[in-house]
Amino acid sequence: MRQIFYLVQKEFRQIFRDFSMVRILFVVPLIQIFILGNAITTDVKNIKIVFQDQDKTPYSREFISRFVHSEYFKIIGFEENYNRLSSYLDSGKASLAIVIPRHFQRDIVLKDKPDIQLLVDGVDGNSAGVSLGYITDIVQKYQERLIESSPDLSLQVKNVRRVETEPRFWFNPNLESKLYIVPGIIALILLIITLFLTSMGIVREKEIGTLEQLMVTPIRSYQLVIGKIIPFSILGMLEIMISMGFVYLIFGIGVKGSLPLLLFESSLFIISTLGLGIFISTISDTQQQALFIAWFFMIFSILLSGFFIPIANMPPVIQHITRLNPLRYYIVILREIYLKGTSFKDLIPETLAMATFGLCLFFAAVMRFRKKLG
Amino acid sequence: MQPVISVINFSKSFGKTTAVKNLTFDVEKGELFGLIGPDGAGKTTTIRTLVTLISPDSGEISVTGLNVSKSIRAIRSITGYMPQRFSLYPDLSVRQNLNFFANLFEVPKKEIAERRKRLFKFSNLEPFSERLAGQLSGGMKQKLALSCTLIHNPVVLFLDEPTTGVDPVSRSEFWEILRELKKEGVTILVSTPYMDEALLCDRIAIMHEGSVLAMGKPEKITGLMRNHIYKITGNDLVLRSDVFAQIPEIISVQSFGDSLHLTFPPGFSDEDVRIKIYGLIGQELNVERIAPSLEDVFIGLVEGKIGHAN
Repeated sequence: MRQIFYLVQKEFRQIFRDFSMVRILFVVPLIQIFILGNAITTDVKNIKIVFQDQDKTPYSREFISRFVHSEYFKIIGFEENYNRLSSYLDSGKASLAIVIPRHFQRDIVLKDKPDIQLLVDGVDGNSAGVSLGYITDIVQKYQERLIESSPDLSLQVKNVRRVETEPRFWFNPNLESKLYIVPGIIALILLIITLFLTSMGIVREKEIGTLEQLMVTPIRSYQLVIGKIIPFSILGMLEIMISMGFVYLIFGIGVKGSLPLLLFESSLFIISTLGLGIFISTISDTQQQALFIAWFFMIFSILLSGFFIPIANMPPVIQHITRLNPLRYYIVILREIYLKGTSFKDLIPETLAMATFGLCLFFAAVMRFRKKLG
Repeated sequence: MQPVISVINFSKSFGKTTAVKNLTFDVEKGELFGLIGPDGAGKTTTIRTLVTLISPDSGEISVTGLNVSKSIRAIRSITGYMPQRFSLYPDLSVRQNLNFFANLFEVPKKEIAERRKRLFKFSNLEPFSERLAGQLSGGMKQKLALSCTLIHNPVVLFLDEPTTGVDPVSRSEFWEILRELKKEGVTILVSTPYMDEALLCDRIAIMHEGSVLAMGKPEKITGLMRNHIYKITGNDLVLRSDVFAQIPEIISVQSFGDSLHLTFPPGFSDEDVRIKIYGLIGQELNVERIAPSLEDVFIGLVEGKIGHAN
């Protein structure tokens, strides 16, 4: 016990002796949460739009004004020459061009079918689809108003039973991607900090030769492992609490569910990252190697976690591979607890999967570490 | 009395490379024993095996009667090992490093301060106790490393090239400390590539390519050399070893800085040598017969040219 205590004490002394380390631990998550939380967004806003109004009537102006008042669109100008419209899309000055044909008003009044033309920059398929959805919505509302205000339509026609969908988005009513992204960022920070600290922390001792010096003391290898794990787990837990504090301060997003449950799940997750860190330390001799290998694993766990790319969109083989990724479960768990306040009972499958893989990884790594030490 | 370190027929290979081959030696209690040899001679492998960091392929190896493959923890708690590279925590202070190792070796808490004081006395590190180990000079680092290996009062001390890369003043101070420890009854095994340090040992083993070429007191080893060695100094232009190598009877020519050491078989007199050289280059050079140094013996041993009487 005494030896473990001094190993832990030494580790903390080393970590906090180095001011840059303290900065990494506290400032980096702050910046990451602030910048990534705002930057990573699937919302499509400020779609740049150029109009060509060939009609120039009250009706066409009324139609255009609906785009002025929408926060999703930003009208960058009007173009008289049809042939020049494409240059707006080519140069990226606009990602959307709307052409209102001549006789737009006449067609409406005469109850003919008026057409409008949309030219959409389809390079970013996702944004294009989303903006199309917004436009359809605006056109539909415009149409409804036309029908309601039309003096010559009978009441009967006006009250024709139209089916309307009225969606309600639960847990994230405004479909803000922030709410979805931020818990994911917390998970990433925890992964990065614990994985890198552990692997680099052990390899560093290998590199400067102190590991050999520790080996000739009477301490046992399990004591050495515990002496490494305790400080890094404590830092990991500290890190997650700091991150949650920042998330609350910056975005006003608090934990809906149980905080102890969240911390418990986090500690299960840390077991897997520590295990991976120890494993990396057994296959690398220098900090540089450890850094590269840790990066490799980190990129894989992030891309295969469902954080950026929905797992359901992946090929079936890859989907099965993601099952081995503890981060996949942890992100789900974190989002569930954060946004929905899900109880432990409903998280049992994810928790079990995460704990199983985490513990397997951990014990395999520790066995390898002990064998390596000889 | 049983030797403190006993190595019998020890062999160790790493893959296809044989590091140590059939090594046998003993070290008595309180002895200062030196493993002398160039890089790759097998010194480090031998020491690392003795401190239980690697296991032998074959052979009987024991430290204070304990088998190195079986009593690993027991050996670790009574031995001190200072590896070739300085390996203490550069980001901990001198005092923190000492305390850390004291605690890992389970030195009784009450004794730590007292032992630290005693170690400071010989190392003169007291004024630097709050300085980070990484900011010490090379010689001070070496002394701190030694202090950390002594904190648990080991009965056997293993030092792997402790003075490599250390300035001459610190080197002699370091050896002074070793002699002090020897007086206290500590058995010391030290490896070094420096022949002058070998002379400071009680006994030495000259190692080359994993085997011992000669073992015994340093004086005895220099006495192994039966050939005569002549030192010549003079005009730089003629100090070219290939010219002297043309003398038919010559055994070897070694360049030592500004002089050459010529080895002739026993029976060659100064006069004979002078005549030979004059005949060769038509010039009078400063020729002087010298007692063989350990270097001469070492080179002679490696090349199999020491001119055994028998």
